[in-house]
Amino acid sequence: MDWQALILSLELATITLLVLLPIGLWIGRWLAYTSFKGKALAEATVVLPLVLPPTVLGYYLLVSLGAGSPLGSWVLDAFDIRLTFNFLGLLIASVVFNVPFMVQPIQRAFEAIPANLSEAAAVSGLSGLQTFLRVELPLVWPGLLSAMVLTFVHTLGEFGVVLMVGGSIPGETKTIAVSIYDKVQAFDFASADQMALFLLLMSLLAVAASFFAAARMVKTR
Amino acid sequence: MTVAEGKLRRGALCVQLEQSWPMPLNGEFSCEAGELLALVGPSGTGKTSMLRCLAGLMTPELGKVEVGEKIWLDTDRGVCLPPQQRHVGMVFQNYALMPHLNALDNVALALLHLPMTERRERASQWLEHVRLSRDQFARRPAQLSGGQQQRVAVARALAREPKLLLLDEPFSAVDQMNRQGLYDLLADLRRELNIPIVLVTHDLVEARHLADSMVLMDNGKVLQQGKPEQIYRSPRNARVADIVGIQNRFQGVWRGPRNAKDQTDNAGWLEWADGNGQPSGVLMRVRDKGRLSVGQPVTWVIHGDGLHLRHEEGNDDSQSGFGDVELMTTVVSRKVLGDITIAQCKVEELFGVSLCLFRSGPQRRILSDGETLSVRVQTEWVHVMPTRAAQD
Repeated sequence: MDWQALILSLELATITLLVLLPIGLWIGRWLAYTSFKGKALAEATVVLPLVLPPTVLGYYLLVSLGAGSPLGSWVLDAFDIRLTFNFLGLLIASVVFNVPFMVQPIQRAFEAIPANLSEAAAVSGLSGLQTFLRVELPLVWPGLLSAMVLTFVHTLGEFGVVLMVGGSIPGETKTIAVSIYDKVQAFDFASADQMALFLLLMSLLAVAASFFAAARMVKTR
Repeated sequence: MTVAEGKLRRGALCVQLEQSWPMPLNGEFSCEAGELLALVGPSGTGKTSMLRCLAGLMTPELGKVEVGEKIWLDTDRGVCLPPQQRHVGMVFQNYALMPHLNALDNVALALLHLPMTERRERASQWLEHVRLSRDQFARRPAQLSGGQQQRVAVARALAREPKLLLLDEPFSAVDQMNRQGLYDLLADLRRELNIPIVLVTHDLVEARHLADSMVLMDNGKVLQQGKPEQIYRSPRNARVADIVGIQNRFQGVWRGPRNAKDQTDNAGWLEWADGNGQPSGVLMRVRDKGRLSVGQPVTWVIHGDGLHLRHEEGNDDSQSGFGDVELMTTVVSRKVLGDITIAQCKVEELFGVSLCLFRSGPQRRILSDGETLSVRVQTEWVHVMPTRAAQD
């Protein structure tokens, strides 16, 4: 078992989740409540990382964030920070490829809230923030939970993008999924077995949890 | 300023709105404190939009909403209070209860300005007030019946101690059996609250039964405001008569006063038109309000109280007032609605015209198919209006 890779993966998944949660809530709620010209395009952009081959996504991230790119070179000059082949680069990539996993369930959950509830809240004297905290959040909670679980597990398991943007630097960018690949290449099947089983169980648990959450959501209606 | 404003008591609601987009909305009405006003009209005529403007959920292009001395909306002066500051209680069409909260917490949600413990205490007082039993306090909306949900929604609306209560089709999701209890509750509330109550409904029977005053809307426009019996007896125009479903509605031609006596009596002559719209020669002397010109096509209605069966009156020949008309009719069809029988009676002298008669109790026996009845039309009850008066 490559403990270093596992801990790195857990760190990456946790930080990705923390960064993406507020962004996902904002985008998901916005997409659910507003209609505007070109909304279909915005929704398609959100889903794009889901359907794009990971290598393609990784390639574009590399091209746009690398030291040779305008953004990458500017950040390097201004802050002396590299955006690729380190943990930060991995985090940025991880946030980008998890956008659909976070936004979609949240958007669906907000869409399922009956429209007149927020009006009823306003008439009952609740401010926008109070309505969000006391009415919307409890109602989208199952969707939110499932979004969080999916994001977390998906980060643990992502391989292609991670390899493209992060390389495989132990302790910096070598995640558990990359480690499994390395172990197999080195014929260390015992370690590969353990880690693969761990990921399998995590994923199963996650999907089960999100199904459970979805079932609860039906009951509250 | 509305005309009625000077006469209104403290706490009254005064509304004046005008909008052409996204949907037309136009009209003014007022409602006294302690009075129940029903907004009625066909569905999709802007009744709910009107209510939303009162609650502050929608802002009309132009308008004014005043409750008591408080101005909630005045587009001329740029005043538009958000719903949170309006102190309005609203019961939504499908109640809009929070599905994740139990009955008590749903009501407590409207009391966030109070400390936590006091909130629940007040909430339970309100729930008791609307006669929800204690074992239902901890249930979520999904575990309550339509009628119980409605009571929770009413309690939530009242918990804010509103200055105006709005009810949007509150009975639509409650079955007929449970409605009576809710009607009673509403009647009690009206007595004890002493605030204006506005009820939106498409059910005219309900509106007539509950309301002190009715506002008739069509196509976003307020057509008439008045007491229910007043609207039924003298609808402002043919469209109003149409919407409220007045059965005895006929066409005619206005012939005007004929002599000096007619003029001193404020009377004029109305010629009944037959089923083809042709003048029939049957003339009636009715009240003249001076608004019609001679030869003008008119629509006229008569209230059921103005149609007498000669048969029931015995040999009493005393003719009242204006000079009534007597017609021979034959019952052609009957409908029995509970205790009431409604009969269509063909008028012999008038081709294609039939009268609608209602009778209940033992008197309904006379309304049997093929029966010939002599009907006295008491012309004092006739209300005449211009036929082309949609803009009136």
